[in-house]
Amino acid sequence: MSLADVQITLAPSALIAHVTGEVDMSNAEEVGATVIGATPNEAQGVILDLSGVDYLDSAGIYVIYGMRASLQARGQALILVIPPTSPVHDSLRLAGVERSGEIAEAVDAALRMLDGRPLPGS
Amino acid sequence: MPAEQSIDRAGERRSSDRLTDPTLSELPLEELLGELLVRVQEALGVDTVAILLHDADSRQLVARAAKGIEEEVERGVRIPLGQGFAGRIAAERVPIFIADVDHADVLNPILREKGIASLLGVPLIVEGELIGVLHVGSLTPRMFGQDDLAVLLMAAARAAPAIERAALFAELEHEHRVSMVLQRSLLPKQLADVVGVDVAARYLPAREEVGGDWYDVIELPRGRVGVVIGDVVGHGVAAAALMGRLRTALHSYAIEGHGPGRTLELVDRFVQSLDESAMATAGYAVFDTFNSKLEYATAGHLPPLVISDSGVRVLEVTPAPPLGAFPYGRCPEHELTLGSGEMLLLYTDGLVERRGVALSAGIEVLAAAVRGAQTPEQACAFAVRELVPAVGLRDDVAIVSLQNSPVPAELHMTLPAEPKTLSQVRRMLRRWLNERGADEAAVAEMTIAVSEACANAIEHAYAPSPATFELHGRARDGELTMTVRDAGRWRAPRGQNRGRGLSIIVAAMDDVQIDRTAIGTEVVMRRRIAPK
Repeated sequence: MSLADVQITLAPSALIAHVTGEVDMSNAEEVGATVIGATPNEAQGVILDLSGVDYLDSAGIYVIYGMRASLQARGQALILVIPPTSPVHDSLRLAGVERSGEIAEAVDAALRMLDGRPLPGS
Repeated sequence: MPAEQSIDRAGERRSSDRLTDPTLSELPLEELLGELLVRVQEALGVDTVAILLHDADSRQLVARAAKGIEEEVERGVRIPLGQGFAGRIAAERVPIFIADVDHADVLNPILREKGIASLLGVPLIVEGELIGVLHVGSLTPRMFGQDDLAVLLMAAARAAPAIERAALFAELEHEHRVSMVLQRSLLPKQLADVVGVDVAARYLPAREEVGGDWYDVIELPRGRVGVVIGDVVGHGVAAAALMGRLRTALHSYAIEGHGPGRTLELVDRFVQSLDESAMATAGYAVFDTFNSKLEYATAGHLPPLVISDSGVRVLEVTPAPPLGAFPYGRCPEHELTLGSGEMLLLYTDGLVERRGVALSAGIEVLAAAVRGAQTPEQACAFAVRELVPAVGLRDDVAIVSLQNSPVPAELHMTLPAEPKTLSQVRRMLRRWLNERGADEAAVAEMTIAVSEACANAIEHAYAPSPATFELHGRARDGELTMTVRDAGRWRAPRGQNRGRGLSIIVAAMDDVQIDRTAIGTEVVMRRRIAPK
């Protein structure tokens, strides 16, 4: 059984990546590269749905920061989806970064956050 | 009959006697056919002899054995019923004599190529059923007479039942071999290795033929593991093939995360959707290694057993129809806690069913047999030893057993310094912390902290030699102490993100000490746990 799975769906303005399973130093970079590699230039941003993630460690947090940096360089946003009861919250809280970056509780809320943002390159 | 063809009558009689030799019927098919060819050739003084067997599916005669015209068999000659020399003998069920092959309706080119001048053939018939054709040939023109025909008819009469019996047996043996190979290839090559459980399984084919019994162990997300037992109604290749499909179907639904009841219901719908009538019984249990909860459901299957130190109990099951039996079958779930060291045992009816003995009595015998088993391997061995006869098992048997591995009071582990170790460590930790009485939040936070400390130890590992690190855990007076020790140098946090591992450890624990020495780094983490 692989530790995590990534399912990609494309919305009109964004790429939505649903991650399930556990993300740690053994697979974090792979997960990040999969999402970045699948993101089209036209997308306004990436919605990283972590609601199906059971475990996220500092390597995972590090990769999320890396994703944000490379997307920002392309003028694209990264919005995390983390429901209030998610174990991912524990990791972010313990690492002291739970309030950094844009976080939505559900994918539809994340899509609304993307609306109204300027298109990349405009 | 021309003089040069006259036969010594006494010699012919001796040859005829050899054709009625009763020991012929005890030979396996290949030897029997070979022996018949020789004896017919001797008895009639002919150049060629051939036996073609009737393939009812294709309505063709298939060359099966030949002497003098071996090419027939080598080239796999097939003659449609009703056509040519042999085809007409088969279709009309009459002997046919051809004096001059060159000017006759002979379909098989080999007969001409060989230069056969004359042919005589008779049908092979058993209890009104055509099973083939026996024919002889002469390279010189020959008038086969009534005496020759009588000898050939007698040979055919003696040979036909023996051929049929041997062919049937050969076919069964072939099917047995095929289904055996199929069955083996469809069962798990090795059982999933899941942290927190020990598993063992057995499959024993019946003496006569394999059936459709199967077992499976499936690793599931979030520390859960599924255990499957199943039994397809029927035997042989068809049952084994269907078993393979059901095992795959169940496995697929299981890894989607469905519970035992829903998983069995989905497999039932799958069976209903097949364009063939199929039925199977099955049991499916999901064990949560984090909290030791076991959920199970059955569809027409025998009740699971739980083996513990205090004895063996037969679990309650809600009667549910077998998979594929009725539309919209429902499979209610049951739940229990499988204590540390306790074992679940699933089995098929072949293990407990005995002629003239009630099923419940058979299950009691099984319960008594596995009493005292300490491991799944032992449970399987005890069950087989007590319930499976040394020879002549009438139905196939599958057994699978899962144990909630005993959780040690203290953790002392040496682990490979590889990233993939981390997820295994977390699974062990969750079980251990839960067993020590930590509440859900404490389990989650300490698991992150210890996993981070282990990740550091793995990063310190000096490549390329295989390195290890140690993890220790103990509980004293409401305080848990976790120690991670490696033989590498502590690495100062690089950049603002890399330091997060350490901040997580510090935030999750009450007290953290990092001891860096020349021989390595030791991280000692303490946290008090509130009684649950």
